[in-house]
Amino acid sequence: MQFHLNGRPVDFDGDKQTPLLWVIRDWAQLTGTKYGCGIAQCGACTVHIDGAPTRSCVLPVEAVEGRKVTTIEGLSKDRSHPIQKAWIEKDVPQCGYCQSGMIMAAAALLQEFPKPTDSQINDTMTNLCRCATYHRIREAIHAAANA
Amino acid sequence: MPQPMLDRRGFLQGLSLATGALLVPLAVSRSVEAAENIVEITDWIRIERSGRTILGLSQCEVGQGVYTGLPQILADELDADWSMVSVEFVTARDAYRMAAANEELQQFVGASTSTTVFHDRLRLAGAQAREALVQAAADRWRVRSTQCEAKNGRVIHTPTSRSLSFGDIAEAASKLALNPHPKLKPPSERHLIGKNLKRLDTPAKVDGSAIFGIDVRVPDMLFGAVWMTPTQTGKVKAIRNEAEILARPGVKAVVTAPFWPTPVHNTVIVVADSYWIAKQATNALDVDFDPGVSATLNSDKIMKDRLAALDADKAVVATEIGDVGKVLAAAPGKVIEARYHTPYLTHATMEPVVATAHVRDGEIEVWGPIQGQDMVRWTLAKNFGVPANKVIVHTTFLGGSFGRKYVPDFVLHAAIASKAVGRPVKVIRSREDDMRHSYYRPCASARMRAVLGPDGYPTAMHARVVGESLYAMIKPKAMQAAGGWDETMLDAIYDLIYAMPNLTVDNIDVKQPIPVSFMRTVGSTSSVFFLESFINELADAAKIDPYLYRKHLLAHDSRAVAVLDRVTEAAGWNKPASSGRHRGIAFNLYTGRGGAFESYVAHVVEIEMVKGRVAVRRVVCAADVGTVVNPGLVRANIEGGIGFALTNTLKSEITFAKGAVEQGNFDAYPLLTLAEMPEIEVVLIDSDRPPQGCGEVALAPVAPAVAQAIYRATNKRIRSMPFENAANTLRTD
Repeated sequence: MQFHLNGRPVDFDGDKQTPLLWVIRDWAQLTGTKYGCGIAQCGACTVHIDGAPTRSCVLPVEAVEGRKVTTIEGLSKDRSHPIQKAWIEKDVPQCGYCQSGMIMAAAALLQEFPKPTDSQINDTMTNLCRCATYHRIREAIHAAANA
Repeated sequence: MPQPMLDRRGFLQGLSLATGALLVPLAVSRSVEAAENIVEITDWIRIERSGRTILGLSQCEVGQGVYTGLPQILADELDADWSMVSVEFVTARDAYRMAAANEELQQFVGASTSTTVFHDRLRLAGAQAREALVQAAADRWRVRSTQCEAKNGRVIHTPTSRSLSFGDIAEAASKLALNPHPKLKPPSERHLIGKNLKRLDTPAKVDGSAIFGIDVRVPDMLFGAVWMTPTQTGKVKAIRNEAEILARPGVKAVVTAPFWPTPVHNTVIVVADSYWIAKQATNALDVDFDPGVSATLNSDKIMKDRLAALDADKAVVATEIGDVGKVLAAAPGKVIEARYHTPYLTHATMEPVVATAHVRDGEIEVWGPIQGQDMVRWTLAKNFGVPANKVIVHTTFLGGSFGRKYVPDFVLHAAIASKAVGRPVKVIRSREDDMRHSYYRPCASARMRAVLGPDGYPTAMHARVVGESLYAMIKPKAMQAAGGWDETMLDAIYDLIYAMPNLTVDNIDVKQPIPVSFMRTVGSTSSVFFLESFINELADAAKIDPYLYRKHLLAHDSRAVAVLDRVTEAAGWNKPASSGRHRGIAFNLYTGRGGAFESYVAHVVEIEMVKGRVAVRRVVCAADVGTVVNPGLVRANIEGGIGFALTNTLKSEITFAKGAVEQGNFDAYPLLTLAEMPEIEVVLIDSDRPPQGCGEVALAPVAPAVAQAIYRATNKRIRSMPFENAANTLRTD
């Protein structure tokens, strides 16, 4: 079963019902994408599928056959994505566990709304952060939009 | 030797999809060549010939910022070049251990003590190393060391402006004896302490390369998933389909395990080639289990037990000043009474508990998000009959902890799984089992009574707090030594800072078969809710502004008055809130466990009621946490602490039915969302005290301040957490 992972073709030969999250983490060994809840509630597993933010913990890998999957490791080579730069500028992460998913969600948000309003941020950024870094996430999204 | 951590970018760059099965250990041995280029100056400082300065970090990074703040203290006193600094977790030496309230020395993070405790130790180490480097340079130049000074990673011979890099002289310095009493820098010479330096862990946390416990991969590793009995005291009797599970492709072993600290096996671990195979197999398990003594446990019964205790004739007296009984009896009909309740809570770290272990002959190696390195050593040593110093502990980044990952249950599971297969195993607990088998923040209830004098200020107060005691489970000796009461249940009440001529504080342990432990801010998230809500009620009864009411009762403590003045000034307390907004205020003197520190915090919150729900719009916080090592880190702890407290205040409740926790995931145990996060303003008060704790201190005053604002908005007193509980919305008192 073939799909593109961070720009490279890959061929997964395991159980096609395996959630994409565990294929990314255990088979492809890209561990930036996290397991948080397993029921698409928390967003720690957010990746882009053909550019759209998707929670990978409940998505069987067969659903991405022939499609383009981007993980945090593929967002940029050198932390140069505007969202990553803003995250560094605002020192957003605390424990950091949810941040890969947050950044993937925020990067997709900027694709849809290059200058998002607070209300658009509220509606779109539904990922959970137990450290409650939300305050700086909002600041960093605005900073990235205005960069 | 300190254990070198793998370079995080190197880890990522080393991965190749083409090779598929590349295995990279988290902690590798440094190559011989590199080892020859590096020397140890102290337990905390190693310097490479290149000048790269490796600062040891004994305190795990859970998000609180020690990965930056503690090296910042060390580098300041060392006069290191911050751009040449890197940080490595260190372990297994006494230098890295501390004592929690007269207990055995251990390496751990807890009770907001890292900066307070290690501040002096790291300054000493930095100054010792600096003096050794200066002496080594002076020896090289054959000049007096008093003519030399360290600056920004170099030693300079002031008369000639010659200089040597720390890397040039590190080897010579490493051979010099350390001065036990080096000269510490005066505050005016600090070049890093107090600066808003960027967090050193941020880059690895924005590109996915930071290694958390769940990301550990070691050679030859297998994966484990768990099944646990639904009840808190369950026991596995038989696995009816064990042969069938073992026959599944990829399954290597099925093994049972206890739930620390009990010896009762309530857990089945399936070990397999991949986590997903193991998880599918645990889902298919058919387990015969005994539900144990908690089979009939439910939340209604727990509440009934607490209500009975609130009115019990006798309780263990913690504090007795004056004669409260006499004052209350002399004021019939004038006693103000209120009852408050808080539920069980769980930490709900975003990273569930997870560990990797390799049990070998006479030695155990573990990797994971570990908050108590020596707790893990002691637990595994006891369970596997190896000496504690033969337990090798590798600490990763922690995907949140809030106290949860101090408990070693999950590391024990990984070790039992490893022993069963003779290979390293990573055991990941599912979100559901993480939530249903935690060590909970205990429930509590309070009955507060007071009488006001003619001026409106209290002349007597009786505070009773009841609930399941944390100390009865975790620190029974400390509880006995105190006379049978649990200080965590009475924090800020038994040692009341408010002026109170007559005071009785008492306590009842309402035992339940529910495992409890430390959770961020511990008992204060209940006791300060009780106390500060009651102070607000007394102020309202006296028709005195609650800010001025507190100021009067705290007039003897200038630090307390300062945070109240500053928070109200910043919040615009003396002007009306904008239309539709309502304010509340609360204060807390947070005393570190064992008197480790004193941090003063006050909040003013502003809320709106939107369709019968509370929307918290703004929180202004003033805090005196002593010397601020890094303002950005302190602010982050306060901002995040307020958000964490709002989740507790508005949403969180662990309930029990038929002996089992009813909530299993974030759908039933929701967290505050970004849309619900208020604006936050933090005022840090200048202080010349040493650094005090800051990781937990912002939480406790949030709930009482929000409750007061709700009262202003709706005339309803919310006395039970969580505030969004349906029972509160219906309450009309």
